[in-house]
Amino acid sequence: MKHLPKHFRQRWRYIAVGIETDPDTDIRRKDLQRELWYSAGNLLGDPGSADVDLTVYSCRFEDGVGEAVIRTRREETDRARAAIACVSRVSGTAVGIHVRGISGTVRACEERYLGRAAGISEENDVAFANGRHPAYRRDGLVEIQLPSGFVGATELDIEY
Amino acid sequence: MYEAVAAYPNGDTTVSRYAATASRYGFSGIVVRTREAEFDREAIYDRFGVDVVRGIEIDADSPDSASGSIGNFRRSATILAVNGGTNALNRFAVEQDRVDVLTQPMQNNGDFNHVLARAAKEHGVRVEFDFGPAFRQTGGHRVQSLQSLRKLRELVLQYDTPYVVSNRAESHRHLRAPREFFAVGEAIGFSKEMIEQGLSEWERLAGRNRERMAESFIAPGVKCGRYEEDS
Repeated sequence: MKHLPKHFRQRWRYIAVGIETDPDTDIRRKDLQRELWYSAGNLLGDPGSADVDLTVYSCRFEDGVGEAVIRTRREETDRARAAIACVSRVSGTAVGIHVRGISGTVRACEERYLGRAAGISEENDVAFANGRHPAYRRDGLVEIQLPSGFVGATELDIEY
Repeated sequence: MYEAVAAYPNGDTTVSRYAATASRYGFSGIVVRTREAEFDREAIYDRFGVDVVRGIEIDADSPDSASGSIGNFRRSATILAVNGGTNALNRFAVEQDRVDVLTQPMQNNGDFNHVLARAAKEHGVRVEFDFGPAFRQTGGHRVQSLQSLRKLRELVLQYDTPYVVSNRAESHRHLRAPREFFAVGEAIGFSKEMIEQGLSEWERLAGRNRERMAESFIAPGVKCGRYEEDS
């Protein structure tokens, strides 16, 4: 089909989000996409969900942290932000999600807001809560694996 | 703007990790609801630039036991909150000058009305808007929580009751940035100003109580020290 005249085309905004979850969990693009659609559908209803669009463009994920670019209509950035904030679990695992910024092009979005995720630098046992437990360290942050699940901590909490 | 959180051992995240996340998200401080949580306030401030406030949330079955806990812990906590949720506890909490915040007044079978709203204003007790279900639940539970939030909001606005806003994070992954709060708040009928006021109220409360707990404090407007210079 012939494309629309330029003034008539939809204007988009690209939202850069940072995501974090358990260090042993992997999140794929289609999982994130599904949760975003659920979240938008639940919070904004079908018409609202159609308006905000929320298409995942790129999604990089490694060792429990990742980042994604999500597309929305230019007029809908606030509602899109609300729907993104209400994503609390992906594939059954709790996730932290944070909008880093919004740009008018994918390229500007990636250059300005993405590429910050630091991988896991070290895996070893640390002393925490009267015992030694396996832990993953990244950039001063520590995920400690207790029998009850992961506890988020920083280097200030652990003893060597 | 501050956010109030449950830290390890009650939550899945230590205070310092909350501070790390809060500083990235643009909060200037956090209030720790967990009495048992251990932290070094100065080290955290030096590292992350986030103020940590020692709080306590009293979770009692009856007004009698809550009253005992208030007496025990009032001096050790900068911010003292009482977890509501039954009519008796809600009624009790809003009539106590020593209580700073009534949390989750609408959970379970709890309810709030104009009498409580007036009493809370008179005694300076902040009522908490619990945004946890708005962020983390779906379906019928969320619908009911949103209905309660609406009722509470209408009462608070009508009677000018002081309030705080929180999403009751139990892990750093539950934390959401202030702008996300504004966006979700607007989607469920709050104004941006109202959310901002509610998040900033924690900060004001902490500042006021620290001043009151300082040794030089005698009564509001009266303190030990040298004369102030006439301007």
